[in-house]
Amino acid sequence: MIGEHEARVNVTFSGTNGDLPDPVSFDATDGDIKQWVTEAVRTGGIPGIAADPNASLQDFVVDRFEATEARPHRLLQLRPKTPFGV
Amino acid sequence: MIEAGVLVDLTEDPEGVPIYWHLPINRNTIALPDSRPLWDVIWENRHKDLGFAHSHPGSGTPGPSHEDMTTFAAIEAALGKRLVWWIVSSDSYIDLGWAGPHKLSYRVGPCMFQPSWVERLRVESEYQIK
Repeated sequence: MIGEHEARVNVTFSGTNGDLPDPVSFDATDGDIKQWVTEAVRTGGIPGIAADPNASLQDFVVDRFEATEARPHRLLQLRPKTPFGV
Repeated sequence: MIEAGVLVDLTEDPEGVPIYWHLPINRNTIALPDSRPLWDVIWENRHKDLGFAHSHPGSGTPGPSHEDMTTFAAIEAALGKRLVWWIVSSDSYIDLGWAGPHKLSYRVGPCMFQPSWVERLRVESEYQIK
């Protein structure tokens, strides 16, 4: 059960996609979320994503989504950053 | 000039086939800002051999910025595969690929020929021809 002030955390890494087993506070900082997910990826703590002891999510960003009819809980999604520039 | 990008499918044609022109409304002279829609398109096409090209201002041989290389590395980490990365100027272009050993060890490739879509990328970048 995911509480009103919590969110599921989803990450895309190494061509796969998975969720942190436990929800986190929706208001957690990007830095905290990236740290938690990095530790989970490194130790194999995300079902569906193979453990990678050298994983780094430093250049990933956190997208925040409110609940919808189809998904009755909030979602925090980590994806790679995509800016280019001089 | 305004920066532009294009996602290219290299699965069957070494020159590549453009599959998504990245022309966000918030692009400007020096940057293509972070874009969730761009990532969504890359992810949807992850089973293809992919490359991404973007334009830099000015002429002459372009080079990747630190922002460019950290974006290359982040996208490749998420996909679990390497891509070809092109950078285009008004009269030149380079292709880059990860050569190792470090995270940001990207090197210029052989640039055997100029893909035909490079000219359209220049048009979309609105270079001022003198």
